Amino acid sequence: MNERLRLLFAEAIDMKFEHLQNSEMSIEIAYIAPLCEENKINDFIIVPFTKDAYPFQSQLDTNPEYRQVEDIAKWQELLLRGHVLIQANQIIYAFDASRIISIENPQTQVESAIQGPQLALSEDLNISLNLIRSMYPSPDLSVEEHTIGSLSKTPILALFDQRRVDPSVLDTVRDKLTSINVEMLHAAGELEKLLVGKRKHLFPTLLITERPDRISKAISKGKVVILLKGNMFAIILPATFFDFMHAMEDDYDAYWMTRFLIFLRYTSIVLTITLPALYISVVSYNPEVFRVQLAFSIAGSRSGVPYPSFVEVFIMLFMIETLIEASIRLPRYIGSTATTVGGLILGQAAQQAGLVSSIMIIVTSVVAISNFVIPVNSLSFAIRFLKYPLIAVSIFFGITGVAVGLFVYITYLCNLRSFGKPYMRIFGKLRPLEGDIGQVNVE
Amino acid sequence: MNRYVFYNFIMVSFINLLLFVPHILIEARFNGAVSSMIVGTVIGTILVYMYTSAMARYPGKGLPEILKQHFPQWLVSICMFCSAVMWWFATSIVVVAYAILINRFFNPDANSIIILSMLIIACGYAATRSTLSVMFVLEIGLIVNAPVIIFILFKAVRSTQLNFDSIRVVANYVTAMPTLSAVAAASFIFTGYINLSLFNRLLPPNFRFKFRWVYPVFGITIMLITFFVPIGFHGTEAVNQYTYIWSVTADSLIMQYGFIERVLFLFLIVFLNLTLVYTMCGWHQAMEFIKCCFRNYKPEIDSPKTPVANYVIVGIFAMLTMLYLVLTNEKINMFITSYWLVARMFVEFIIVLTVFVLSRRRPKTT
Amino acid sequence: MNVIIRICLAIIMVCMLGACGFKDIDKRFFVVALGIDQSENEKKPYRITLQLAIPSPKIEPGASKTQIETIDAPSIAEGVRMLKAYVDKEIDFGHCKIFIIGEKVANSDYQGALEWMTRRRDIQSVANIAIGKPDAESLLKVKPLSERYPGNTLFLSFGADGTESSYTYVESLSDFSRRASEEGLDPLMPIIKKDNQESFIINKTALLDKKRVKLVLNPSEAQLYNQLANDFTKSSMHGMFEGLDLVVAITEIHSKFRIGKQNGEDTITMDVKMKVVFEEAPKDLYSAQWRSVEEDLNKEYAKSCVKLLRKIQKAGVDPIGFGLRYRATHPGSDAFKKWESLYPTIKFVVRANIIIEGTGLIK
Repeated sequence: MNERLRLLFAEAIDMKFEHLQNSEMSIEIAYIAPLCEENKINDFIIVPFTKDAYPFQSQLDTNPEYRQVEDIAKWQELLLRGHVLIQANQIIYAFDASRIISIENPQTQVESAIQGPQLALSEDLNISLNLIRSMYPSPDLSVEEHTIGSLSKTPILALFDQRRVDPSVLDTVRDKLTSINVEMLHAAGELEKLLVGKRKHLFPTLLITERPDRISKAISKGKVVILLKGNMFAIILPATFFDFMHAMEDDYDAYWMTRFLIFLRYTSIVLTITLPALYISVVSYNPEVFRVQLAFSIAGSRSGVPYPSFVEVFIMLFMIETLIEASIRLPRYIGSTATTVGGLILGQAAQQAGLVSSIMIIVTSVVAISNFVIPVNSLSFAIRFLKYPLIAVSIFFGITGVAVGLFVYITYLCNLRSFGKPYMRIFGKLRPLEGDIGQVNVE
Repeated sequence: MNRYVFYNFIMVSFINLLLFVPHILIEARFNGAVSSMIVGTVIGTILVYMYTSAMARYPGKGLPEILKQHFPQWLVSICMFCSAVMWWFATSIVVVAYAILINRFFNPDANSIIILSMLIIACGYAATRSTLSVMFVLEIGLIVNAPVIIFILFKAVRSTQLNFDSIRVVANYVTAMPTLSAVAAASFIFTGYINLSLFNRLLPPNFRFKFRWVYPVFGITIMLITFFVPIGFHGTEAVNQYTYIWSVTADSLIMQYGFIERVLFLFLIVFLNLTLVYTMCGWHQAMEFIKCCFRNYKPEIDSPKTPVANYVIVGIFAMLTMLYLVLTNEKINMFITSYWLVARMFVEFIIVLTVFVLSRRRPKTT
Repeated sequence: MNVIIRICLAIIMVCMLGACGFKDIDKRFFVVALGIDQSENEKKPYRITLQLAIPSPKIEPGASKTQIETIDAPSIAEGVRMLKAYVDKEIDFGHCKIFIIGEKVANSDYQGALEWMTRRRDIQSVANIAIGKPDAESLLKVKPLSERYPGNTLFLSFGADGTESSYTYVESLSDFSRRASEEGLDPLMPIIKKDNQESFIINKTALLDKKRVKLVLNPSEAQLYNQLANDFTKSSMHGMFEGLDLVVAITEIHSKFRIGKQNGEDTITMDVKMKVVFEEAPKDLYSAQWRSVEEDLNKEYAKSCVKLLRKIQKAGVDPIGFGLRYRATHPGSDAFKKWESLYPTIKFVVRANIIIEGTGLIK
């Protein structure tokens, strides 16, 4: 065996080949050292073999950890996955000694909840599965394994409740998973793009999350969850717009407070999308919309600004967007400094320099802050983009343009489907009720 | 899913404020508007009941499918083409009127053709979506806008400026004989049911129409407000001098403590949304009817990909609408509308009666 | 294909650029008040005065700055258009909430001015309209000391969020234009006067027919009118009880009227119900019989009301809308003709019903 492997892995110096012999028999073992846990190899192979207290051959035959490998073509793959190959009496056995480096039980970071499970998914599939299984202890929970990536060979698990899952969704997911053809796959976001399939999409139609409670809830609602090895995020599908607006804490906290929070979230979405466009359209087209006092104070504060309103808006939005980008990318300690410098000092200075009006500073900060209220990051990013087309329309058409633009957005959202399910629909359940509209073609 | 039927009804009864209906009624206030409204209510209610009970026997089938069951294809094609023209016209009048209205009140310096082109691009995009999506947009549009419209109407009714003596003066003319155009205008408020012609496709099997009494009640309320509130605001004489009677009425209101002080702007924005939704629905139906003219067309309610035919048909609609704006002006539009309303009433008679008779002839299949 | 679409879109965008009414707020001159006077010039009968706001970033009492532009023109529309040549920014009527019609115009014919105002799309129907005495121009030149925003004093005087004076009748443009054409309902307007200092007095009301001013109510009549026609509560009433002066504040007032026959004569019966609290009264009133005080007040109030109504009747105008009520209760297209012959001789009966709620904080 070792001769053959030496040929296959000629250039790999981290490949280990050993020849062991005790009183009874001799074996050959081969493994890739960095991928394996030396302890495990010692405990399960070398020590029992050399100690020779119990016949090693019967150990190989009885313990299911040692799997017999018949197909020579599989050797390579097994070795690369961290297995040890053992040759004893001309039979090849594989023993899983893989060492996975991952963060041990990380805390939730991206979607944190004050009261609620603090553990996030792990990069190790087994630990993640452990978390989910323990939160969803039901025999109906099915796990399917797929492998994606001709080079990366990333293992993927699809989880669903086999009784509750929507069969049409499951079929499309299986279809998509088998038909994906890429070389490398490392991140959940990458898989999301591959699953959606559209080259240009604006809104996320799959929910990426790290929270096991969100996942178990989604499974109980009949959704499919996809886990990815080496990634602490899972994909939930199908997802609706309202799932993205839903923070897990909404289910944990007091009723009225959470209703208020939800209301707040939708209001701030509307604000963050429309406010800059409305500023332009009101200032440059219909100043009579304001109260007269407000109109005069805006006119007063704008009187020193040499540029038209939309240039003013672009200046401020450029500043705030770069600030947000910078503070995300920078290390955490410098990040807060950047915001302070940018937010406080630049805003003040820009206004005093007569580059922008003081109302515009308020508008910009409202836009930036209300954008952060959205609980799921991917939607927050999509929403961040939405204001720019509206600004463009408002430059030409004023308030009418903004209203028409919003209408187009809503139409786009209503037209989106997430795995065949309507993406935005008020009062609609994900699984259509008996007597819902649009069921006729099904019969 | 009765609510989707309601949405159509509510939308059409609200949109009447823009479709010169109050204008036509108010013009005839001393010679037959009030009695026409009574007649219109009766006609509208009867048609609602007839059409809903007829459609309930054809679950999941739109008007074209029903006709195809009973008539040869060439006849269906002609009928469908005619109804497509009707539906296209209904919406184009509104969207053209609204483009002019925006030009008057929002952007007096802008060109109304450019405003219209923006509106029809948005509507055209929306109309080419699948029938199911159109319904979802309609739902959201109404849920967002209807409360504001009701608020404005309520505010108008509760306003101290409303003079009930003027309303009584006009109401006293109830004895005047109804006129055809006024009856047609009044019955338009009830005409939302006719959208079932297409949207019946979406209704599931074993569907039952519930709360049908709401339709006449709601229609009558809206009609009374539509007609009498402007009279109460502007008096029996001055009310006739305004071209955009409801915009002026909304402008007479003030929200003392609102963020926007003038109700007019709220009114215009809300009705802009409603116009867009209405135009989307109308064009979508007209588009589907045109597609049904072809023999081998299979109706689809939620196709994952938008067929190219959609874009072609709606593109033609958009071009014709632009042409309509170029060829007409406010006065001609108003004039055509009053005739169109009459024509619409008779076409609806024919459609409803045909479907009703067909549904009775067929033995009940349960 | 895609490229063609993109090019088309770009062309459309460029076309749109040329055709929009983009104008920044600081490039607009807001008219806060408009005055219409009669000039001496025969050919140019209208004198238009615009009060233009100069916005300033500072907001403090007295910081308001305005610019006054005046022109004589053959018509209002032409005058406004010509005035554009006098200023550097676009004139915007969007915030014009006060229209002052000079006394001379109001005394000759106001219909021309009214028509211009209702026809223009950017003039709010909720704007207030008033008569300026002696003329609109001099009123607009007044600079009140406390004013923070240009034109704010007049906005607040008429709007409900500022002062609510019982002597000021507030007339909106839409109401005025209704009254100007309605049969059986005549227009009326407050009169703004300038006092010796830099401020306004608005305590008289002019009653007009469909063309010009017919009668001017003095302040106490104006207040009484507001009580009768508008149920204006924040007002007071003067009365006598056993030779002593009484002043009461009205907390609630409801008035309604009926047209009918009484003893064979056509009569308008007015019922006025009000609840009052004493503001000024003799010391021992608390222990006296309130019933008799109420009756005295009733009598006196009824008397002054009938006097006012007679005066209005004699002037031949009908601002309360008796004629409209007559039309409403008497169907038929000739009702108004009948009413016109009836009105000059009709009798008024006012039945006041005053309820005393208390004597204020002291007995």
